[in-house]
Amino acid sequence: MKNLIKEFTKGIIKENPTFVLALGLCPTLAVSVSVANAIGMGIAATFVLLGSSLIISLVRDFIPEKIRIPCYIVIIATFVTIAELCMKAYSPALDRSLGIYVPLIVVNCIVLGRAEAFACKNNTARSFFDGLGMGVGFTLALILISAIREFLGSGQILGHVLIRGFEPVFVFGMPSGALLVIGLLLGFFNLLKDKRA
Amino acid sequence: MNIQEYLTIFISAVFVYNVILSRFLGLCSFIAISKETKPALAMSSAVMFVIVMSSAITWFVYRFLLLPFNLTYLRTISFILVIATFVQLVEMVIKKLSPQLYRAFGIYLPLITVNCAVLGVAVLNIDMFFINGKSVAGSFYYSVFQGVCVGLGYTLAMLLMSGIRERLELCNVPKSLKDFPLAFIIASILSLSFMGFSGFKF
Amino acid sequence: MINNLIVSGSPHIHKPESISRIMWTVVISLIPAGIAGVIIFGLDALWVTLVAVVAAVLTELVFGICAKKKITVLDGSAVITGILLAFNLPSGVPLWLPIVGAVFSIAIGKQVFGGLGQNIFNPALVGRVFLMASWPKYMTTFTRPFNYDAITSATPLAILKEGKILEHISYWDLFLGKHGGCIGEVCILALLIGAAILLIKGYISWHIPATYIFTTAIFTYIFGGAQLFSGDWLFHILSGGLILGAFFMATDYVATPLTAKGQLIFGIGCGLLTAVIRIWGGYPEGVSYAILMMNAATPFIDRYTKNKIYGTR
Repeated sequence: MKNLIKEFTKGIIKENPTFVLALGLCPTLAVSVSVANAIGMGIAATFVLLGSSLIISLVRDFIPEKIRIPCYIVIIATFVTIAELCMKAYSPALDRSLGIYVPLIVVNCIVLGRAEAFACKNNTARSFFDGLGMGVGFTLALILISAIREFLGSGQILGHVLIRGFEPVFVFGMPSGALLVIGLLLGFFNLLKDKRA
Repeated sequence: MNIQEYLTIFISAVFVYNVILSRFLGLCSFIAISKETKPALAMSSAVMFVIVMSSAITWFVYRFLLLPFNLTYLRTISFILVIATFVQLVEMVIKKLSPQLYRAFGIYLPLITVNCAVLGVAVLNIDMFFINGKSVAGSFYYSVFQGVCVGLGYTLAMLLMSGIRERLELCNVPKSLKDFPLAFIIASILSLSFMGFSGFKF
Repeated sequence: MINNLIVSGSPHIHKPESISRIMWTVVISLIPAGIAGVIIFGLDALWVTLVAVVAAVLTELVFGICAKKKITVLDGSAVITGILLAFNLPSGVPLWLPIVGAVFSIAIGKQVFGGLGQNIFNPALVGRVFLMASWPKYMTTFTRPFNYDAITSATPLAILKEGKILEHISYWDLFLGKHGGCIGEVCILALLIGAAILLIKGYISWHIPATYIFTTAIFTYIFGGAQLFSGDWLFHILSGGLILGAFFMATDYVATPLTAKGQLIFGIGCGLLTAVIRIWGGYPEGVSYAILMMNAATPFIDRYTKNKIYGTR
């Protein structure tokens, strides 16, 4: 049981997919304009991660080596389509604001990366917790980045004004600001890592 | 065949909404491979080729398969399958025709399948050029042209970035910023500069 | 005998100048434009400039201390960045704006690359486009010249972009700076005096400014008017940040190509981009963006215009 917990927690800090493994950056930056978007995307991605990790680890012995990547992709794409359709049905506003980045979860390096690196080599229980941990780590990273961006870029978080009279710094709502935030955050975490070493 | 439309697509796709610096598609490969010019160029040409071809193929799939049979919800799955198959085909062809080129590409070729830019452009074309389930006039040409322009924008960003990062090898960058963090900061400044083209009107 | 043979790469600077001397001379050459700015826009211009300079110097100092490196603030480069940034701002901006801009210029535009001599982009311009993207309202509110009560007015280029007819502006007005605009960009006369100092002393070469201005002029002549070959090129040369940019920012030693051929390419590129943005883009002025984009291309330009090392093929 302890091992399983470890699989879960490693995805949050030690092997955080965004800040340590630098995977799945495309949607991270695009979606982190607002915390609401971040949470939505995080949940969707975690769902896909969980589903695909589970299924892939279940069938890992039956997939021929040569065509394993296309097989993983089909499995992942199925879960993404499910997520897409659910989102369109139950929260169309979120679907509209996430735009093309929902179908793009299919090519999110995190999902395919974990399938290739973990789920096809480990048993179902461990893969489940690994997927869960990665998903949660990803969501937390998204929330951190989007909190910074939303606060600086519009003075609000989740639509609530935090400081009155704060002049929003519009650049943080733009792609340039996103790249800047993640660059500085990565540098900051590197600094922490070095200090700890 | 509207010249203004094409010019607008060109300026948008290459500069204002640059696929990497503005839409963040292909960012993984961008950060990882833009360290040196040769691999950057190799990756860019391969990506450009795949984007253009898959833009064309996915257009056909959507127009003549998914739309008429009301299967548009299968868009994601079918597109990614098309792309994966196509990349596999390209790999096999290159391996047969020119083993040297195949070796030169190395791992980059299979990586293109998961390059967000390829699937992203395919989906973007549909969103932009199909309105209410019908295709806009000339949408095939717009789609392919957009594919070309996105490829150009990708190449431009890669080349600029690789030139800059090669030069930075000789500078003493603060340790915690080396490699990835600085690459993002440079991309941020590039993105700001490209904003100069926003609001383009011919 | 052997000691007479010096082997090194180009460019070969054989003057007994130090970096400090060059930098402080540039500062001096910017003073005429600064004085003009204060005369035209009032003491606000002075405060903005001073605040920007102090913020830039302090930021550089902090970085120097944290990195435990030699303190380089006395070499004048931070001062130049502060001044140039201020010169790119309207005089009416709230004083925290140039502070944030200066900190950003030095921190992100210069220090993250490793400090002096290693920046890819012109630091002042990095700060300026950051400010422009962050607080567009403040960055585009210009006060009327000689009217110290801060009545707003638009710059000539902005009026042109909106398609309105320009009244009451003669070329002479443009040359002397009697119109709305950024602190250091309006008075062409003052800028040219400063540029002359730098050219005479040989601290900048004519290649970039000449090609930059010339290319912009030709392009706006051909495409800038209602019909082909009817553009008002003199207006374009005298308006906006072109003169300031061409002589003082596009000539940044570090961020521009090393060879003469490379510099010509750089100048032409800047000119083209500036003209294209001015004519068809959404912004009325394109100088900052043009220079930054060419800065980005400089590593490439250098690569393909490198002089052959004597003795190799």
